[in-house]
Amino acid sequence: MELLRFTTAGSIDDGKSTLTGRLLYDTGNIKDDVLESVSKVGNTINLAHITDGLRSERAGGITIDIGYRYFKTNNRKYIISDAPGHFQYTKNMVTGASNVDVMIILVDARNGITSQTRLHSLVASFLRTRYVVVAINKMDALAYAEDVFESTRIEYRSIAEKLQLRDVIFIPISALHGDNVSAHSENMPWYNGPDLLSFLEQCDTQKTANGPGRLSIQYTAEDESTGRTLYFGKVLSVEIHKGERLTVFPSGNEVLIEKYISGYEELETAKAGENICLELNTNDGVKRGSILAPLTHSPQCTKHLTADICWLDPEIDCDQNKEFILRINTQESICRFRDIEYRINPFSFDKERVAGLKVNEVASVIIETEIPIAYDNYDVCPENARGIIIDPATHNTVAAIMIH
Amino acid sequence: MNYLQELEAEAIYVFREIAAQFKKPVLLFSGGKDSTLLIHLAAKAFYPMSIPFPVMHVDTGHNFEEALRFRDQLVQQKGLKLIVRKVEDSIIKYGIEEPVEKLPSRNVLQSITLMDAIREFGFDACIGSGRRDEEKARAKERFFSVRDKEGKWQPYNQKPELWNIYNGYIDEGENMRVFPISNWTEMDVWQYIRQENIALPSLYFSHERSCIVHNGRLIAVSEYIKIDDEDIRLTENVRYRTVGDMTCTAAIKSDARTIDEVIREIETSNISERGETRIDDQLSDAAMEDRKLQGYF
Repeated sequence: MELLRFTTAGSIDDGKSTLTGRLLYDTGNIKDDVLESVSKVGNTINLAHITDGLRSERAGGITIDIGYRYFKTNNRKYIISDAPGHFQYTKNMVTGASNVDVMIILVDARNGITSQTRLHSLVASFLRTRYVVVAINKMDALAYAEDVFESTRIEYRSIAEKLQLRDVIFIPISALHGDNVSAHSENMPWYNGPDLLSFLEQCDTQKTANGPGRLSIQYTAEDESTGRTLYFGKVLSVEIHKGERLTVFPSGNEVLIEKYISGYEELETAKAGENICLELNTNDGVKRGSILAPLTHSPQCTKHLTADICWLDPEIDCDQNKEFILRINTQESICRFRDIEYRINPFSFDKERVAGLKVNEVASVIIETEIPIAYDNYDVCPENARGIIIDPATHNTVAAIMIH
Repeated sequence: MNYLQELEAEAIYVFREIAAQFKKPVLLFSGGKDSTLLIHLAAKAFYPMSIPFPVMHVDTGHNFEEALRFRDQLVQQKGLKLIVRKVEDSIIKYGIEEPVEKLPSRNVLQSITLMDAIREFGFDACIGSGRRDEEKARAKERFFSVRDKEGKWQPYNQKPELWNIYNGYIDEGENMRVFPISNWTEMDVWQYIRQENIALPSLYFSHERSCIVHNGRLIAVSEYIKIDDEDIRLTENVRYRTVGDMTCTAAIKSDARTIDEVIREIETSNISERGETRIDDQLSDAAMEDRKLQGYF
């Protein structure tokens, strides 16, 4: 059985938590005692209460931080990150969206596309989210009229094009009443596409596995029984074979894998996503943060990198005189921002020159690191193309980067 | 990868991040199924090496004998260093008045003992078996969750946590709580236990036990609870769906004697795991959030 991760995005009050509650309810994934604990209006349960877990969230009726929920059908297991819609909590929404296969962006049919719809679409574009489902919600409030759905769809098409979103699907729904959520709605005979759950059940979750092999070293330790150094790491893409000669980055040394362990077993080949333990023919220049790559397919390895950035800290600015810490998978270096090439205007999505960056802004920056960093483009090896920026003074994660 | 492989890989990656990013981690172990799962995942994460940190039990003194016995066996079998710190000692040290209810739970007091132990040993990371699926406040927590100098969780000010890049930087005196099985459900835990053939305390399977009925729940007869003449004693076939201690966990009627039978029982149950068994969660709508704000696991 496969796992699908998705998130719900959209403006405050567009019905994200209600939709999550509806999906859990319709698939029989809410237990009786949990149902009893949520409030009711008349006979209708407050579906949003199922996911709002913090006292202030329940009291205020808003989602502040991501709430994770789990459900399963006969086909798949699902992890939902129920994200906040309010502008000031967008940084939490980015956390919830970073790992998903599908971002569902809810649009209130009565209000149409809002600035938050645009911002969340920009986040999907930044994160390169595989699928964006635009769920046009509260169709019941507009007598399930097709023209509202159509006009929103046309308007969003231009956003998707400008942001180069990958696959975009449009579904008219009512989360409150369950229309087109887990079954095709009889109230909207004009809609011929899949209901939301059918889409989630069928969409392709295969992570592409092209490109060259990459192995990242996470942790090293000495095996006291043999006196040998053990290298714990992860295969980031494709596969790496025992006996294969590899180049270590950034040191440039050449190594040979002598022993390969995954779980309790010795292996000949390890595939993308596997956590492995290695013994090498030499300990020279291999440590946490090292990238091992085939001799013929090197990653970029420089002290200058150009990256898309999403700023996440409300208090600290992207100051070009300040030192930060860059982390890409397990590699780390002190860094500085050399230039902000452009910011993407959150409304028009045009590129524009700016002096600094503020919270929730997406831009392109040039970063200079103290030590060389071995990275790839997102299309070559996603896991070696994304990183975070940490402020050494507050230890906060202040930004996320993607190398395209 | 199927979903269990994916969850296992996620947990193993987190364990290795803990070892790489912290100087003095500790794994919190009570003998329950979730912390037992953690030990098995940690053993796999560091094989062929042994687990590079100790385990600690914050002992309320109200334990099930079976859980304690199991704890000691597993620790010995895996060659782990076990630290036990007792709530009893904190009660004496601080002159705390013992709770006097019918089920006098020391559950909340565990936070004091835990924080003292963190300071005593200088632990910078505590590895816990909390799962987001268990409880609504836990559903909000990051894998790497910072506790301030008083041990408090700040749910409204959590750091961004993107992809599998975990920021383990903390200030002096702060403490990280790390939850490698954040994304596992109760069913995932049992499926994995079946797949890996992991031994559990006998409490998790059907056995005969003398109980009283308190607020509709079956509470094991023990010296730790106050039993009076009005209580009706029953002997039932029960099992425990979660194992806290004898004052805060209720048993459920069950004939499930094997892992397969337990899985079937959970599948058909219409009550959630903690809802059915945890008295400590029932104190208020935000009982878990409140305890977490005070330094709880």
